[in-house]
Amino acid sequence: MLDAAFLVRRQAPGLLLSGLCYAGGLAFGLAVSAVLLVQAGVPAAALVDEFLIATFLTSDGLAQTVTAALPLVLVGLASAVAMRVRFWNIGVEGQLWLGAVASTWIGLGGTGPDALRLPAMLLLSAAIGAAWIAIPLVLKLRFGVSEVISTLLLGSVAFLLVQHLLFGVWRDPATGFPVTAAFLEAARFPSLGWGQLHGGLFVVGIVAVLVWFMLGHTRAGFYADAVGLNPKAARAAGLPATATVVGLVLLSGALSGLAGMTIVAGTEHRLNQSVGSGYLFSAIVIAYLAGARPFWVVVVALALGAVFTAGSVLKVFYGISEGMIVLVQGTVLISILMAQFFGTYSLSRPGRGEAS
Amino acid sequence: MSVAASPAAGRENTSPGRPPALELRGIGKAFDGRPALADAQFSLAWGEVHAIVGENGAGKSTLMNVAAGVYAADEGEQTIDGAAASPRSPMEATAAGLGMVHQHFRLVDSFTVAENVLLSLGRRGAVRTIAQAGAAIIAKAREIGLPVDPSRVVADLSTAERQRAEIVRVLLLGARILVLDEPTAVLTEDEAKALLSFVRRLAGQGHAVVLITHKYREVAGFCDRVTIMRHGRTVLAGAAVSGLDEAEVARLMVGEALPAGSRPLSSAGPVVLAVAGLSVEARPHGQGLAGIGFDLRAGEVLGLAGVGGNGQEELVSCLTGLVLPQSGAILLAGRDVTTVPPRERRRAGLRVIPSDRFDSGLIRDFAIADNLALSRVADGAFGALLFLRRGRMRQTAAEAIDAFDIRGATPTVRTGLLSGGNAQKVLLARELDAGMTVLVAHSPSRGLDMKATQFVRTAIRRAVEAGAACLLISEDLPEVLALSHRVAVMNRGAIAGCRDIADVTPEWIGALLAGHA
Repeated sequence: MLDAAFLVRRQAPGLLLSGLCYAGGLAFGLAVSAVLLVQAGVPAAALVDEFLIATFLTSDGLAQTVTAALPLVLVGLASAVAMRVRFWNIGVEGQLWLGAVASTWIGLGGTGPDALRLPAMLLLSAAIGAAWIAIPLVLKLRFGVSEVISTLLLGSVAFLLVQHLLFGVWRDPATGFPVTAAFLEAARFPSLGWGQLHGGLFVVGIVAVLVWFMLGHTRAGFYADAVGLNPKAARAAGLPATATVVGLVLLSGALSGLAGMTIVAGTEHRLNQSVGSGYLFSAIVIAYLAGARPFWVVVVALALGAVFTAGSVLKVFYGISEGMIVLVQGTVLISILMAQFFGTYSLSRPGRGEAS
Repeated sequence: MSVAASPAAGRENTSPGRPPALELRGIGKAFDGRPALADAQFSLAWGEVHAIVGENGAGKSTLMNVAAGVYAADEGEQTIDGAAASPRSPMEATAAGLGMVHQHFRLVDSFTVAENVLLSLGRRGAVRTIAQAGAAIIAKAREIGLPVDPSRVVADLSTAERQRAEIVRVLLLGARILVLDEPTAVLTEDEAKALLSFVRRLAGQGHAVVLITHKYREVAGFCDRVTIMRHGRTVLAGAAVSGLDEAEVARLMVGEALPAGSRPLSSAGPVVLAVAGLSVEARPHGQGLAGIGFDLRAGEVLGLAGVGGNGQEELVSCLTGLVLPQSGAILLAGRDVTTVPPRERRRAGLRVIPSDRFDSGLIRDFAIADNLALSRVADGAFGALLFLRRGRMRQTAAEAIDAFDIRGATPTVRTGLLSGGNAQKVLLARELDAGMTVLVAHSPSRGLDMKATQFVRTAIRRAVEAGAACLLISEDLPEVLALSHRVAVMNRGAIAGCRDIADVTPEWIGALLAGHA
């Protein structure tokens, strides 16, 4: 007979324990990643150089890290607000693609005066992102369709739409490549004169502060937590449960759409087939590691931005493949998640007389 | 039927010279310091069907769970077929020959019946493949005359079919003593009859069967002897069914402890909650509401007694506004609220204490202050417009913690960390506010210790004295009798009868509880 040991949920995991588990997981993940990278041909001595010094301690590196972190903050927030109401938005990339498409339409010289071009791109990308997630939301509320499947599949639909446009009406007339022409000057975020960093920084900063304030200091955030943790009790207590879910999920879509806009208007200045790839995975990683708390979303997004920066350096100078970079991210994530498990549960062997 | 003549016959058995199939002596068991069993006795002979009856919480299931190795007894002795036994797990109990079929079946839904049996057998002995398990099931099913199809997936089976699969599984594991915990509660009339006839046949083949039940009909029609339990004690040990009548059983079940002091209505207040013809479709494995109706007046407690699973949960959900009825009406202070959302019912003065406080009452992972504020944030009590003033929430919470003497609590402590009694006080502090006019309380002291129970009852009494009305839905009869001005009994989703507390007799309640109008 199997001698069973039971998992017992810790009643009140202390801050120290949680911190230790988190740090332990991070250290373990980084150590394994280091081994992987050295195995792949990166000199051990270069690791510290590239990871720590080049990404945080040099001016160029830091600018690059922050730039890379901007859309990550937005998708992380998008994932986090949906997570708060237990809506699994696995379609962050789809909403992001559509936000990018909407921005591109205006950025390429659609209607409107130049002065309103950036504000219009902001608004339209957010609106279209929200509209795209409204489909799975309605399906879920009306027919009980699992949003995990519907958001994920709609993500692919969005990408096909992008391809349709890039291989069709938006194909670059100059080169014939499936990328759009460059945006009008008025449709680009102004450069801040520090690396690639652009005016999107202020947009992301303001949005992050607003989301932080909303979740922590307004009724909406309170409702969201109540509905997320116990929808039945929230409804019985008279909270507008459905309206809360609708509001936060639409916000999630809007934030993703905004992320798409930030990428095309901030760094790419055109739409191509790769601006949105990888953000779904990153969004979930960030929101999960941050515990769906906005402040920590920003922190984790910056850390992940550094990994991206270091990754691109490794790619260029050491010929490390893209897959390897994803593997490193995955290794670190899995390590931290496993470590969190030990912070949440303790193992115990059943003694006699322990009933009910 | 067999011939045990008196309680003393419990020590004998129907096959002379053979020791009792199961004997329990002086069993005591406490949960978190609360005694569930005290000096309980039970003796089961081979070849008999033995009923254990008693109210909810009388200790019937607990006693049999001790016998079946689910719980370890704190004290007492147990023998199975004459040999001392103290099974530490259901597996050990079954190995010793005793198998229990619980109210909630222990089958893996996504497996077939044969796979479930194989899983339990654990690849020991002759049965090692699914095919062999299937053959064994068919052979056993034929032997005992119980149709079971081994190849079907459990999730696709009806409740009755699952039950049969569970019985065959337990018997295949080697059980000769079969304990059935309220097996007919989930069955239709015909299915119940078929099951009970089978049980008789099984006893005729030399097995011993324990039938835990509430229903006198089943005792009289299908059992040889009966053991009656009350408050964790055996009040009648193994008496022959033929020597008892229904009134006697009802009296022993309920006890003499009836109306503790009469409570004449202080004033015949106006009707504040009127429910008429309320019907809700039954969910799978559940009971719906079948046209239930009653009036509740200001200044009174209407106690709804009844065995659990007769529609109590559905009634509370319906009154709260979480479930919409198919037909019928709910009038709150004269206003039809049958289809309005919970929020508007709260505004009209309705407050609810659900039976499971962490299911639809409190949020386990919320701070105490947040739970206390839960129903009031939407009304702008903690900041106008959309803002939230957490400081004021904490301050209000600190006052409530003082007023209700919630131990181990500060406003920021997670509610799930509180003891049951203190968590219940958080709920009471929120629900028993100034705006309350109608309180629906479902088993408000379930799982609480004496002191917390007293606190809850006093709080309800005070609220009612102050002019509120209370619908007390409880499976705990003493609680209903201690608080109510009027008592109604719920059965199969409807009211089986209603009387003023002064006219309530044990026979009346016992008969209605047992399902006789």
